[in-house]
Amino acid sequence: MHGPPPAPRPPGPALSRRGVLLGALAGAGAATLTGCATPVGAGLLKTEAAPGAVEYWNLFGGGDGVRMQQIQDGFRRANPGTPLKAITLAWGDPYYTKLSLATVGEEPPDVAVSHLTRMKTLVDAGLLQELRPEDLARHGMAPDNFNQRAWQAGLVDGRAYAIPLDTHPFVLFYNTDVCQQAGLLDSDGQLKPITGEAAFADALARAKQVTGQYGATHGINADPASPWRLFQTFYSQLEGEILADNGTRIVLDDAKATRVLDYLRALTVEQRLMPSAADYQGAIAMFAAGQAGFHLNGEWEISTFQTAGMSFGMTLLPNIFGGPHAVQADSHTLVLPARPDLDQARLDRSLHFVRSVLDQSLTWAEGGHVPTWLPFAESDAYRRLSPQSSYAAAADTAVYDPPGWYSGSGSNFENVIGSAVGAVEGGQLTAQAAIAQIRSQLSALARTPSPV
Amino acid sequence: MATTISAPDQIRTEPGSPPSGGADHRTRQGRPALLFLAPFLALYLLFIVGPALYGLVMSFFHTSLVRPGLGEFAGLDNYAEALGSSDFWWALWHTVWFTILTTPPLVVLALVFALLAERVRRGRWFFRLAYFLPYVLPSAVVALIWQWIYTPELGLLSRTVDAFGATAPNWLGDPNWAMVSLAITTVWWTLGFNFVLYLAGLQDVPRDLYEASAIDGAGPWQQIRRITLPLLARTTTLVVVLQVIASLKVFDQMYIMTSGGPNFSTRSALQYVFDVGFTDYRTGYAAAASTLFFLLVLAVSAVWLVMTRRQESEV
Amino acid sequence: MALLESTPGAERDRRSGTGGTALAISVDRRLRLFNRCCVGVLLAFALLWLVPLAWALDTSLKPNAETTDPTWLIENPTLLSYRTVLAQSDILNWYLSSFVTSALAALGTVLTASMAAYALSRLRFRYRRVVFWLVLCGLMIPNQVLIVPQFRELGSVHLLNTWWAVFLPQVPTAIAVFIFKQFFDGIPRDLDEAARMDGAGFFRTYRQVVMPLSRPAVSAVAIFSFVWSWNNLLWPLLAVTDPELMTIPVGLATIQGTYGIRYADTMASAILGALPLVLVFLLFQRRIVEGIAGTGLKG
Repeated sequence: MHGPPPAPRPPGPALSRRGVLLGALAGAGAATLTGCATPVGAGLLKTEAAPGAVEYWNLFGGGDGVRMQQIQDGFRRANPGTPLKAITLAWGDPYYTKLSLATVGEEPPDVAVSHLTRMKTLVDAGLLQELRPEDLARHGMAPDNFNQRAWQAGLVDGRAYAIPLDTHPFVLFYNTDVCQQAGLLDSDGQLKPITGEAAFADALARAKQVTGQYGATHGINADPASPWRLFQTFYSQLEGEILADNGTRIVLDDAKATRVLDYLRALTVEQRLMPSAADYQGAIAMFAAGQAGFHLNGEWEISTFQTAGMSFGMTLLPNIFGGPHAVQADSHTLVLPARPDLDQARLDRSLHFVRSVLDQSLTWAEGGHVPTWLPFAESDAYRRLSPQSSYAAAADTAVYDPPGWYSGSGSNFENVIGSAVGAVEGGQLTAQAAIAQIRSQLSALARTPSPV
Repeated sequence: MATTISAPDQIRTEPGSPPSGGADHRTRQGRPALLFLAPFLALYLLFIVGPALYGLVMSFFHTSLVRPGLGEFAGLDNYAEALGSSDFWWALWHTVWFTILTTPPLVVLALVFALLAERVRRGRWFFRLAYFLPYVLPSAVVALIWQWIYTPELGLLSRTVDAFGATAPNWLGDPNWAMVSLAITTVWWTLGFNFVLYLAGLQDVPRDLYEASAIDGAGPWQQIRRITLPLLARTTTLVVVLQVIASLKVFDQMYIMTSGGPNFSTRSALQYVFDVGFTDYRTGYAAAASTLFFLLVLAVSAVWLVMTRRQESEV
Repeated sequence: MALLESTPGAERDRRSGTGGTALAISVDRRLRLFNRCCVGVLLAFALLWLVPLAWALDTSLKPNAETTDPTWLIENPTLLSYRTVLAQSDILNWYLSSFVTSALAALGTVLTASMAAYALSRLRFRYRRVVFWLVLCGLMIPNQVLIVPQFRELGSVHLLNTWWAVFLPQVPTAIAVFIFKQFFDGIPRDLDEAARMDGAGFFRTYRQVVMPLSRPAVSAVAIFSFVWSWNNLLWPLLAVTDPELMTIPVGLATIQGTYGIRYADTMASAILGALPLVLVFLLFQRRIVEGIAGTGLKG
């Protein structure tokens, strides 16, 4: 009994029947193929792009993206022997998901940006390389070269895993033309100090009279981060806390939260001083188009408005509730994801790049961020930078997200609270309902043992 | 074209008689059969069956995304947590709600358009183009375009509605509207596929039936009701089931356009799995949630099997 | 040809002259009016369907600054946004990645699925029923629930961040096996019996008899696995982190571009991202539709 001849892998003729379609596609693709030999090699054969290169991931869009590109170019010019491969991914959870996956998959970048508030979870998950003092010292990065608030906040069990690059607070942008007409500027053309609930609402109302549309804008739709930042700022001014014991206990103060939410609801739904419906881009576009006198956002959007050619100023978000002057903030840090094949040469290349970024703090600060690298932060060059240095105090009023495995910039924690706050500002939830929702969703997270 | 139609038609007109096969016949064909099946089965076991089983195992462990191995044994904890989690049930409901919003228009509109297109003499290519073109767009492109259209105050849709003197809803920003907006986008995006399925089904309706009924003086509406629709029953079952399953599996639109927001009102089952599995690193729990979700899809598929079986026995 | 054919019934009726009476003529006139209404409604909806794409195209041709004041009128038409996107993003590499991975996925799917279907349709073997049900189960597993195990699997063999990782898991497609099997079942067995009589082995029968007769199924499966793979977002999103190796949807969804108010740039990247498949569709429109019509997909 003999079987039929074993089937080899089907040769050409069977393929040709795919006929015209693949043929034409192949023709179209061939042109591209010949032009891009490198990606083909990388895609199919997994050839290392360039030995001795530094791969660097960040999440900077907007003006930050442009500044970071300048910094990268600066590094490339100064280090022609070290190819730099810089990758910019979409901000927030997707970025951290991708960073974690790449590290777990043993294909991490050499250097990556991480928010200070996200970094601890990465450390707990064993995804980051410890930065030993002797290695840092070799590149001139001693702890006392950094703003101590940011440096200390970045230590885990006394060990360093991250180099803080900046502090980035939530700030108040104002259109100087609109504010001038509304009589909100002083003789120097700066925004007159605003303190208290009524004063802030009044300033928005006067700006609204000038613009005919809104007093202020900030992102609400599809953007839980902005409502979260605003809420955290005001709530912290009431000395409110949300999490305790590393995120395992919820200590949300209903009375304080209600006060903040009622105020936000008054500004949006009731008095229509701020639009209840604007997404991040839309809020920026409306402010840039002069449809609002104020804009609440991170300082990083400075470049957008500079590019738009409008006249504007920036200042600390006012103290509305009279407690300590707190503003929501985070820090960008540079981290080295853990990798099995780390050797001394690679480590030094990476640290050299980190140092190079710090040395270009001026470029970074032009983009609005408050520098933590003291050799620059204490220099005249920074003091002369306007309006950037006008809110340098934010570094000392900064309130970071509370620790917890589900907390940090762009995290579930921020989504839970930001979504509920956004729903209040959009008029879909009452303050009470929002607090109940926050409490129930946070409890579920707090009960869950840390997965890292 | 002629061969195109004729070949599958044979299924009905000339069902291939099952080849006679005794035990020794089987052994003789066992080896070539294995060789023919090997490439597919190898990849199938490697990338579908294996991962599915691995996922099932993980659902009984506190597996972490960032830790190697399965982690601590969890028993049924993950399942108990999912079933007791309001977030999970909400995500399931959002998925079902999305399915309810998208399936009727996607089926009915596709049918109506196909019936209308059947009566068009010239330029049928244009209608195929208009309706099917969006289907070949990547979800990311669809999302970019519609995010722009939905942009409050500035977007096309908001401005159009405002121009008519009404107040445009906050399409993606209002929890009550976000899912509807995603559904509109999805109908626009995927209608073409069902449209073409119906066009194909219509070609199978024997012409002489129309002729006969025309002689009897039946108008177009009566023709559609008495001849076309009953004969399209099989196609309709297929379209409905494929549509329901596709809608239940929705992920891309939410992921790119709303990230499950605002206020989690568009978080679908798969987005929930993604959130807990990749954002929270809770792989084991995510596996349990996906297993529960799989059971839902399985139930729907079972309904389809039963329905097609019944239809086949009726024919 | 059938597609170009006219109104069902009426046209045939008139030509054959079966009902040469006044009654038939009045029915005929009513029908023509009805058909004209149909065309009108259909046309209106078709135009509506094209609006989003037209609007995207319209926006992409404006300077960024003029997009916030939306009107269909383009005062200063410019291709600047296209130039920006082409220069500042890796979109040309994304084209290449999408093309290579989708073509390999389509090729792999057609080959493996048609061979498996041939065995299921033509060969008798012990576990035929088991295999059949195994494949049937695969129809119901949402691919998305498999991503974590797949990720671990490909990570353990160090294939992440390569095109292999993108297309290999997309090759085994249960539905393709069913399409082929249903199609093969419809091909008269006499044909391959005859070939077998002439001494052809199973493989030659598959290659030279069955496959040539299955062109519609092949093109349907090839086109749809190509399109599905091209448009797949979730899996390549996780499997590839190198932007040069990203596919179009992943690149558009994850890589951030320029800054500021950039609706025109965004729409330009959307149009560029849509372009290749739109071209494919325009070229092979009839084949795609025939593909759906000519296979078991129609149920």
